[in-house]
Amino acid sequence: MSDGQDTGRPEFTLVQVADTPSSEEEMAPMFTAPVTDGKRHKNDIFRPGPGPMVEFRGVTKTYDGGARGLNGVSLRIGTGEFVFLVGPSGSGKSTFIRLIIRELRATPGEVVVGGLDLATLRRSKVPYLRRAIGCVFQDFRLLPDRTAAENVAYALQVTGHSQKEVRRRVPEILSLVGLDGKFDRLPRELSGGEQQRVSIARALVNHPRLLIADEPTGNLDPETSLGIMDLLLRINRTGTTVLVATHDQHTVDRMQMRVIALDEGRVVRDEESAGYHDETGEVLA
Amino acid sequence: MRLGMFFREALRSIRANAAISVAATVTALIAVFILGAFIPSFMYVRSAVDAQTAKVDVDVYIADTATVSQVNSLREKLDGLRTDGTVAAVTYVSKEDALRIMKERLRDPSVLDELPSNPLPAKFNVKPTEAENADVIVAAVKDDPALDPTEGIVYPETTADRLLTAAKFVQWAGFILIGILLLAAVLLIGNTIRLSIFARRREVEVMRLVGATNWFIRWPFMIEGVICGLVGAVVAVAMLWGIKVGVVDAWAAGADSALTKTGSAAGTIAFPLLMIVLVGAGALLGAIGSGITLRRFLKV
Repeated sequence: MSDGQDTGRPEFTLVQVADTPSSEEEMAPMFTAPVTDGKRHKNDIFRPGPGPMVEFRGVTKTYDGGARGLNGVSLRIGTGEFVFLVGPSGSGKSTFIRLIIRELRATPGEVVVGGLDLATLRRSKVPYLRRAIGCVFQDFRLLPDRTAAENVAYALQVTGHSQKEVRRRVPEILSLVGLDGKFDRLPRELSGGEQQRVSIARALVNHPRLLIADEPTGNLDPETSLGIMDLLLRINRTGTTVLVATHDQHTVDRMQMRVIALDEGRVVRDEESAGYHDETGEVLA
Repeated sequence: MRLGMFFREALRSIRANAAISVAATVTALIAVFILGAFIPSFMYVRSAVDAQTAKVDVDVYIADTATVSQVNSLREKLDGLRTDGTVAAVTYVSKEDALRIMKERLRDPSVLDELPSNPLPAKFNVKPTEAENADVIVAAVKDDPALDPTEGIVYPETTADRLLTAAKFVQWAGFILIGILLLAAVLLIGNTIRLSIFARRREVEVMRLVGATNWFIRWPFMIEGVICGLVGAVVAVAMLWGIKVGVVDAWAAGADSALTKTGSAAGTIAFPLLMIVLVGAGALLGAIGSGITLRRFLKV
C-alpha cells in the first residue's frame, strides 16, 4: 500500500463543482486520503504503512484531581474504518478524542496515531499532527468574526498555502459540503447545520487521513443530523478514517457501523455493524 | 510572503477589539511620554552636575621665598600626576598674572596702584581629570617646601564632595527610575494584551486545533502589540515636541537664570535622536509585552 512513488508533492486534482455533489464519484477526488495512493502531503507527518490509524495500548488517563478519564483502554481503529464511539456523558469519549489530538497525554499507556507514538512526539510537532487530523465538534468551534470562507481559509493559511490556492480551494470545498451562496456569511448568520458544514469543510480542506467528530450532531435537529452523517459517510467512502463520538442513538442504529461503547473509562463493547445498544438491549446512555 | 497575512490578521484583531487596542495604545502613550519627559530631564540635571564638578580645580600657591629649583621640583611633581592621569592640566599663574586678573575683576582697579608691592602669590592652577582626584593632588603636594605658608592649597572641598554625591545619586536614581518605568510599561501593555488574548481564548484554541504552530498564532499578536506601541509612541512624541517648542525652548530663550547656563542644551539628548529612541522603545514595549503574555497561552 505504500509502494507507490513518494513524489513529495501531492497532486490535488479537484473537481469542478456546479451543484452540491450527489455522487461519490464527484466527492472522491476531493477527499481522497493520501494514504490510499501512497502519496504524502507536504507537512504530512504520518508514517505511511499498513498499520492501524489509531492504536491504544493499555491507556489510562488520570486527571490532576485524581479523576479517571480512561481506564486501561486497548483497541485498534484500522485505516479507512468508520467507527462510532458511544457511551453516556462522562464515560471517557472526550478524553479518548483529546488523547488522539494530543491535547492530553496518557498516564500511563501508549497512543499511536498514523504510526506516531504520541508520548514521544515532540511538542513542536503537535501542530503537524493536528493538521493530519480533521476535527469537528458539537459547538462547531468556528472563529466568530470570520465568514464561512475565511474560517476554511484559515486552516489552509496555517498549512502555508498560497493566497492563490486558498482562493481556488475554499469555494470548491464549501460547495462540496453544500454551502453554495453562503461563503460570505458569518457563523451567527448561518443555521446550526450550516455551521457544522463549515466546520466539516475546514476539517477536510487539508486532506486529513483521520476525521474525528465529537458529537457533531449534538446541537442539530434529526433531519439536519442525517445530512451531516451522510456527508461524513461519503467522506469515509473516499478512504478517510472517520471516528464519530455520539449520543445519537437513531443515527448509530440506522448506519450499522462498528460501535465502540465506553462506560466509566472502559471499553464495554466493541462490535462490527452494530447499533447503539448491545444485543441484550440494555440501555447504556 | 506571510508577513502580509500576519499584518492583515493583526489589523483585523485591532479592529475587532477596538476598546482593548485603544487601552493598550494609551498605556504605551503614557509610558513613552513619561520616559520621553524623564530622559532629557535626567540628562539635563546630570550635565548641570557635570558642569559643576568640571569646575573643581586646585590652586597650589607658591611662597614668594621659594627658590627656582623648589618651584621646578613642585612643577615636576604636578607634571608627574598629569602623566599618570590624575591631572588634566597644570597652569602656572605668576604674581604679575595674578595681579592682572585681580585688576580685571575689580570694579575700581586703581586701589591696587596704592600697594607698595604685589602681595599676590604665584600659583599653579591644577585641573584634575576627575573631581575625586582633588584629594590625591592635595595629598601629593601638601608638604612641599615651595608652598606658600599662608595660602597653601585652596580647593572647594565641600562643594566638590557634595557635587560628587549629588552626581552619583542623580545617576543611580535615574537608572533605577528608567528601569522601573520600562518594567511598569511592559507589564501594563502585557496586561492589556492579556485581556485581548483572554477575550479570544476560544479563538486561540481553534487556531491550535487546526494545527497552527505557536509562531503562526504569535506573529499577529506581536504585530498588534507593536502597532499599539508605535501609535502610542508617535502620539507621545508629538506631545513632547509640542511641549518642547511651546514651553521649554521659549523658557530657555527668555530666561537668563543660572540653571539654563550651567546645564547646557548640548548636554541633553538631541530631539530627533530622542524621537527615534522613544518610537523604538514603544515598538519594543509592545513586542515584549505581547511576547511574554502569549507564552502562557501557548503551552500545549
